[in-house]
Amino acid sequence: MAQSVYGDGTTVDYVPTADDFKFLTDRDITTDKNFASMSYWRGVVIHFFRNRRAVAGLIIVGAIILLAIFGPILSPYSYRDIVSYVDETGKEVVARGIAPQLGLGGDGPFDDRIFLFGTDDLGRDLWTRTWQGARISLIIAFVTIFIDMIIGMSYGLISGYFGGAVDNVMQRIVEVANSVPRLVIVSVLAIFMPKGMRLVIVALLLTEWIGMSKIARAEMLRIKEQEYVLASRTLGAHSMHIIFKQILPNTIGPIITQMMFSIPTAIFTEAFLSFVGVGIMLPQCSVGSLIESGFNNITTLPYQILPPIIVLALQMLGFNFIGDGFREALAPKLEDM
Amino acid sequence: MKNLNRRSFLGAAGGAASLFLAACGGGSSSGSSAGGEAAADGKNLGVMLATNVMSLDTNLATDGDSFEVIADCIDGLMQMDADGAAIPALAETFDVSDDGTVYTFHLRDASWNNGTPVTANDFVFAWRRICELAGEYAYMMDEIGNIKGAAAIIAGEQSDTSTLAVTAVDDKTLQVELEVPVSFFPSLMYFPTFYPINEEFYNSLDDGTYGTSPETFLSCGAFVLSDYLPGTANLTVTKNPGYWDADRVKLAGITYQVVGSSDNALTAFKNGSLDVAVISGQQVADAEADSELSQNLKVTGAGYMWYLSFSQTEKNAQGGMLGNQNLRLAISNSIDRESLVDNYVMDGSLATYTAVPPQFAASATTGEDFSGDQTKFADFIGYRPEEAQAYYEAAKKELGKDAFEFTLIYGNNEGDEVTKVAQAIKEQVEGNLAGVTLNLQGMTKAERLDKMQNDNYDVALTRWGPDYADPMTYLGMWITNNSNNYGFWSNAEYDKLIADCTTGAYISDYDARWQAMYDAETLVMQEAVIAPLYTKANANLISAGAEGIEFHPVALNRVYKNATLA
Amino acid sequence: MAKYILKRIGLALATLLLIIFVLFVLVRIMPGNPFPSERMSAEQIANKRAEMGLDDPILVQFGRYMAGLAHGDFGKGTSLYYGAPIKTVLGACIQNSFKIGGLAILIGTAVGLLLGITAALNKGTFIDGFCTVFSILGVCVPGYVFLIFLQYFFSYKIKVFPYFFDASRFLYSSILPAVSLSLFTMSTVARFTRNEMVEVMDSDYVHLAESKGMYGSTLVLKHILRNALIPIVTVLAPLVVDLLTGALVVEKIYGINGIGKLMVDAIAGEGVDYNYVLALGILYSALYIGIMLVVDILYGILDPRIRVASGKGGDQ
Repeated sequence: MAQSVYGDGTTVDYVPTADDFKFLTDRDITTDKNFASMSYWRGVVIHFFRNRRAVAGLIIVGAIILLAIFGPILSPYSYRDIVSYVDETGKEVVARGIAPQLGLGGDGPFDDRIFLFGTDDLGRDLWTRTWQGARISLIIAFVTIFIDMIIGMSYGLISGYFGGAVDNVMQRIVEVANSVPRLVIVSVLAIFMPKGMRLVIVALLLTEWIGMSKIARAEMLRIKEQEYVLASRTLGAHSMHIIFKQILPNTIGPIITQMMFSIPTAIFTEAFLSFVGVGIMLPQCSVGSLIESGFNNITTLPYQILPPIIVLALQMLGFNFIGDGFREALAPKLEDM
Repeated sequence: MKNLNRRSFLGAAGGAASLFLAACGGGSSSGSSAGGEAAADGKNLGVMLATNVMSLDTNLATDGDSFEVIADCIDGLMQMDADGAAIPALAETFDVSDDGTVYTFHLRDASWNNGTPVTANDFVFAWRRICELAGEYAYMMDEIGNIKGAAAIIAGEQSDTSTLAVTAVDDKTLQVELEVPVSFFPSLMYFPTFYPINEEFYNSLDDGTYGTSPETFLSCGAFVLSDYLPGTANLTVTKNPGYWDADRVKLAGITYQVVGSSDNALTAFKNGSLDVAVISGQQVADAEADSELSQNLKVTGAGYMWYLSFSQTEKNAQGGMLGNQNLRLAISNSIDRESLVDNYVMDGSLATYTAVPPQFAASATTGEDFSGDQTKFADFIGYRPEEAQAYYEAAKKELGKDAFEFTLIYGNNEGDEVTKVAQAIKEQVEGNLAGVTLNLQGMTKAERLDKMQNDNYDVALTRWGPDYADPMTYLGMWITNNSNNYGFWSNAEYDKLIADCTTGAYISDYDARWQAMYDAETLVMQEAVIAPLYTKANANLISAGAEGIEFHPVALNRVYKNATLA
Repeated sequence: MAKYILKRIGLALATLLLIIFVLFVLVRIMPGNPFPSERMSAEQIANKRAEMGLDDPILVQFGRYMAGLAHGDFGKGTSLYYGAPIKTVLGACIQNSFKIGGLAILIGTAVGLLLGITAALNKGTFIDGFCTVFSILGVCVPGYVFLIFLQYFFSYKIKVFPYFFDASRFLYSSILPAVSLSLFTMSTVARFTRNEMVEVMDSDYVHLAESKGMYGSTLVLKHILRNALIPIVTVLAPLVVDLLTGALVVEKIYGINGIGKLMVDAIAGEGVDYNYVLALGILYSALYIGIMLVVDILYGILDPRIRVASGKGGDQ
């Protein structure tokens, strides 16, 4: 109930009447009947699948997953097979640096073989290696999503929400974690655990969440002063309830965008770690390491770098479409309902 | 050796003579410069460096690229001729005592580019400082040069550097006393570690600034440093008009550019940004296929040999499995070295079947290359899958195991081809020896060395380049407890042969020493202490106008004193 | 605010001290050797270690290092550019990396913002689709791959730009590396700007502003972009630090002596150079901490409701 305060300090209760309010526009305000009866998550799913781009994204990512599983299995070569033959003088001739070909035959010794993506500079089939590499990169992508969503987001939201001393301590920890060069941390870690994929994941766990936590914190700082949060707090809602139930859904936009950028970064981090010898061991490969080795011959054998880049870009395009679809489904105000 | 001999020497002896051009015409137009300005009388030669110059301080430098730039600017007592023989430089003449232990060098009139004359004291100062600093190449003073008094100073047992038996008899006379006769001592004098430093100039500088800019560096060689900063990716040297042999130098200057990849080097060369580039792998195949570029392609030996080192002690991860001679022989004989060089290294490197690589050490009496005959150990090494199988069966019986898992360590910052070779070796060995698993583990070169020195490895892909033109630069490695004996192999007969060659019975009998070294090498090959793989060559692209650059496998990779740029 | 900033600077120094100590210890545990050698005897190496004080207790070493640091002395390299003081080498590298990185930030932010705004204002059109694909390619194609194409085309085919970096013709020879380095920033900024603006454009207060008759650039700049800037500034900040501290492969390809290559050479080069790793670590963390402070202050300027200094919203 509102009060009017007069100059002399006396107050008089004022009771508003219906005449005090009127509609600014004569727009016809209708109540949504289709979605009102539906649970929130069911609505999200329906919105998501109505979004053509989101479905396209699902199809792209699904296709890449299928190819990563079956591509190497269906290929006549394994990812590590060097294709070669011994000529009449006893010299080994290796099928290195062959451009993509359909195996239609010809004068060359390898012209009747199918190399859809060509071969690399060791004479290995790039079709097989690309999909073999896509397996690693998909794992990295899902690990990154996990790290971003579980560690990064929570850390940022909590730091931003409590602010003050909590924020101060948590942000100083981020500064320390981010300032020690990754190569130094990983080299030291490699003393205590075997090199390989597990070490790469631990390395990602140590620092990959920082970018996301910064975004989540910034969003929290912005939103926590808004009226509905203040209202919840006044009503005595629990902090964790406010953070994860009330604020989180409103920060989802920048969080999804940030996630899309952290995946390729993580994929290249894996390639770098493998290159310096703490990641996966040769002749294993990942999309990132294929891009790096294709780079060595980029002007002489330019087709070598294309398949991994295209696979990575398609994978990211798919993830982006899915991410956008989720965001729009979670915050349906963007959609014309 | 570190990056020494990245560039190379003349693979074919015939090429040497043709390169030694009579001076003809000065520098003129065309050619190029990699960013730097051209000097007044012509364009600079644009030369690629594979790594950054680490130091221009002769007493500290350890890599081939640094040595090359130092040698452009400073002369030693001796220099290399086009064939790699030692000929006088700052020393006009020298005398040797009858017992071969006292060398007296008589200096010519030459001066530093600040006008001070080069004196015997410049050498005394520099040589004392090498021993005092006791860095990487200090071993040239004691272990190789056997200079009296050097060992104690380097080990830190003697702090008075004047105990080094190197004396300036007068301004123009330098006397050096050796512990034992060293037949190749004069040829050590072209190695940059032995170059002079002017004491007065050095002392006038702030601590740690010598050789860090053109102002803090003195030249007495063919070129002066004109643009340099530690860590820079490009540097320039220009002709030194005050050089004692200035008439011979035809280049206006050299602009060095550090280029990080073979692919980039090829495009830079095609673009005219480089006159001398080094390419490898796929780019060589590309250049060979190109009718124009193939004219510019010149393969020169780079000296160093890549080999597999087997840890033979109980301490390694496999508990001494590789201490079994048959197992080592089996691995060595299942590697197709020709395929490695033809398909993966691809720059003209030579498949190598000897513990001492070919093409750097020839006999002084017969002129014959020590390892010219690559079939001399055909009974122990080669691509022989059947023999490898027989050795393998014997090893399995002796060790009572039929499956073996080893880790092959290699440096992933040592060139793209190393990574390729490691993968090819894995496929070859696993393909020929059923039951052997060779896991690959890439790491930095520093970590690889660390693991090897601490015997914390199974098999390593490693290399060694010659520091001086004598087979002993390799054979000296495998004596018991030598720090480069990474297999921790020990053989009393071998130790005795080497001792006789360096300090004992054969020291003054050249041919007997030569034969003893062959016997020692036989022991190494017979027991497969190492598995030699290939001797590195460099595929150089040299622009049509650039001629007379001398390539060497030892000490100085490229020498430009006789080079011209049309 | 001034009190807050002073407090933060004090905390920053304490954090920096902690970082230096952590790095100081970690770098000594790393495999590899500060004196990599195949020719020195074990006692020679032992002498060198003793000379550098590596046998002393870690706290004594740390104290000595900090004392040197107080006089601006970073020491000398042991496996990298040995003999030369680190200050000399670092000075030139910082100059190059800061200038090229700065240029890349300018290009990346400006083009990214422009692209993002255009896409948001034309949501659902071809321009928007182009922006999406561009942003995705921009983060999937590493900057150095882009540089190779730029170099091949602009330096080799049509020779507009120099083939290698040349410090004496700075701006001219920095354009190619700066453009290729800016690609990632450009994509990130464009994508965030677009997504944030689309969201803000749909919010109640923008509808309110529109209904109050506000339109055009005033609306875009004053209301929409300003409110979209918080996440953009947040993602941009670490990118700024990364760009200023160089990029290994771009520096290698274009022949730039910059911080990125120096760092990798110091850790994974011939040996592990303790002094270089520390000097570069201090540089990086100081930059990072500084920029994070600036970002926290910027939050309050962009949205006056945000008070980073305060605790749980409305507590004070």
